[in-house]
Amino acid sequence: MKMQIQGETLRISDIRELGAANSNDFRDRARAALVDGKKNIEIDLSQTMFLDSCGLGTLISLHKTTCSRNGMLRLLNPTPGVQQILELTRMHRLFEIVKN
Amino acid sequence: MSGISAASVRPATLRLSLGCDLAEVRMAVQAVHGFLAEHGWNAHDLMSFDLALVEACNNAVKYTDEAGRRQSIGLEATVEPTQVEFRIHDHTPGFDWPRKIELPDPESESGRGLFLITSLMDYAGYFRGQSENILVMRKNRMAPESIIALPQLENPENYAHKLIESEKVIGEMVEELSSCYESLSAIFRYSTEHHKTDNLREFAQRLLADLLQIVAAEWFVLRLVPKAEPRLVVFAASEPELQLEPLPFPAKGKMANALELEAALTRQRVWFDSQRPMLAEDPLNRVKPNAAGLTHPILLGGQLMGTLTLGKAATDDVSADLAFTAGQSNVINTFADFLAIQIANTQFQEEQFHRRLVTHELEIANNIQRSLLLKTLPQLPGFTLDAFCRSAHEVGGDFYDVLKVNDHSLLLVIADVMGKGIPAAMFAAILRTLLRAAPEFINQPAALLTRVNRLLFPELSGVDMFITAQLAFVDAKSRKLVAASAGHCPLSIASPSGIKTFSPEGMPLGILPDTSFQDETVDLPENCRVLLYTDGLTEALNAKGEYFGQQRLMDWLASTTATPQTAGQLKDALAAELAVYQANTVLNDDQTFLIMAQ
Repeated sequence: MKMQIQGETLRISDIRELGAANSNDFRDRARAALVDGKKNIEIDLSQTMFLDSCGLGTLISLHKTTCSRNGMLRLLNPTPGVQQILELTRMHRLFEIVKN
Repeated sequence: MSGISAASVRPATLRLSLGCDLAEVRMAVQAVHGFLAEHGWNAHDLMSFDLALVEACNNAVKYTDEAGRRQSIGLEATVEPTQVEFRIHDHTPGFDWPRKIELPDPESESGRGLFLITSLMDYAGYFRGQSENILVMRKNRMAPESIIALPQLENPENYAHKLIESEKVIGEMVEELSSCYESLSAIFRYSTEHHKTDNLREFAQRLLADLLQIVAAEWFVLRLVPKAEPRLVVFAASEPELQLEPLPFPAKGKMANALELEAALTRQRVWFDSQRPMLAEDPLNRVKPNAAGLTHPILLGGQLMGTLTLGKAATDDVSADLAFTAGQSNVINTFADFLAIQIANTQFQEEQFHRRLVTHELEIANNIQRSLLLKTLPQLPGFTLDAFCRSAHEVGGDFYDVLKVNDHSLLLVIADVMGKGIPAAMFAAILRTLLRAAPEFINQPAALLTRVNRLLFPELSGVDMFITAQLAFVDAKSRKLVAASAGHCPLSIASPSGIKTFSPEGMPLGILPDTSFQDETVDLPENCRVLLYTDGLTEALNAKGEYFGQQRLMDWLASTTATPQTAGQLKDALAAELAVYQANTVLNDDQTFLIMAQ
């Protein structure tokens, strides 16, 4: 997992899995990195092969964090499997999903 | 239909046990992933399984309490030709599976697990138990034909092979269906017929002959367990040679040496064929060597009623290892269950009938016995005579008779047949007839007893019974009484001058074939009372368990001479005396007496 700061945006990439075993840790690290007026988060899901309901919960939690800072959460290039889970749970209505 | 013969592919199961830890869940799910990939599940399905299993196992970890945390979570995946089934055994307190599973509010950070499971699987159900709960999930495998839209070009031989496979599967299904139909229609037919026939053996014979046809067997043996007998007895068989000897159950710890005993004792079906032949000492093996078939235990409500064996000649074909197909063996099962109910019904009806018959027989015997006792007694001039008889059972063994010899003499008879019920009543009837059949001895009691004993001995000794009897010839003219006894209670004569008892020697009737009796002649005093009785009087018990006793009886008899009384009055008085003594007790023996008064 990599984190980069680009202006007001925290960009997280290289995520293999986002599930019960690591999602709390992921959330805590993301929040910790969201300092000094950073309000947006971009999560690159192009390497993510697995996402479960806990991972979804973490994404929603971070979404709420960005909203409280008048920012936004964006999901980038989800893999087909992850895309399917997002659609199945109607999360595509909540998050902005960007495909390049 | 998937096109895969269900019989040709066995289910494969992977069982995993994981600690109560989220990290272990992912590893276990990856192991299942590999297992299912090996069994040809596609990537799309595998991804769904990964997620559903993770959701299920995560819940099992997250909701476990302290006690459950020490126990492992069980994960099973069973692959069948047409589906995969997962079972997750958890030790959480459990939860009620919602009737309708919907997505939570979009902003909610949890509550999507069950939604994902039910969306990804074809079936999901949660079963709560005392020690564990089980989540069952199933997914059907799409037939390869339906996934691959474009038909692939195949070798025509493969098509022919597939066609033969399919025909075989359809053939098996048709055979099973027709078997089911035949067994159902046979059962309906026999249900109606059974009411028309009283003979269970005939009924079973016909039912099982039909079963042979339906399941293509050649012979049958039906053995039943007779009531209270630990053995199997042939009740019906397809051939006379199969009417084999009974098979006693072996002693505890000993091996059953016959198929039927093995099935009876284990309560399991026992198959036999060329691979698993019968034991050499099995009686069936004598008549049907090289046979194949099965022995089915007949059970009703857990109770063993018998065994049903069906067989045919064994073939060398190893693939025909089991003599009957699954469909045929189901039919045999159905027939055996049906037969068990019919046998139980018939036995119940027979028992009821027998009970009614016994009651009826007792009534008849009671009537016979009553008819033996005279309604009006012959009387002697200057004397009165009366009799009393009360039975402890429906049919008693006591008996009295009075034979008129001439105008001034009578023969008094009192007897007690040892043993009660119908046999005792029958011997009483025989004794009465024999006594009346020898008029030449009517005034010689000892000679009469000798003759009667000789005639009765073979019958009585054959059934271990005997009779005590007291005969008294009374002549009013000469005022003489001649008494002879066959082991009976003494005869008592009371008068104002005192009381005397007489016990002429003699063995009871039926003890020795040739025995002699003695006549004892006594004078009848003025105002006398003569009492002949059975031991039921002296052995009458009061509520404290004390005997009425001979002394009490003699005292009572002596007391009656103070005032003039008729035999009828004396009878009533003694009956009342006995009734008072025996108040609140159950009569344990017959009570009979003859009383004569002047």
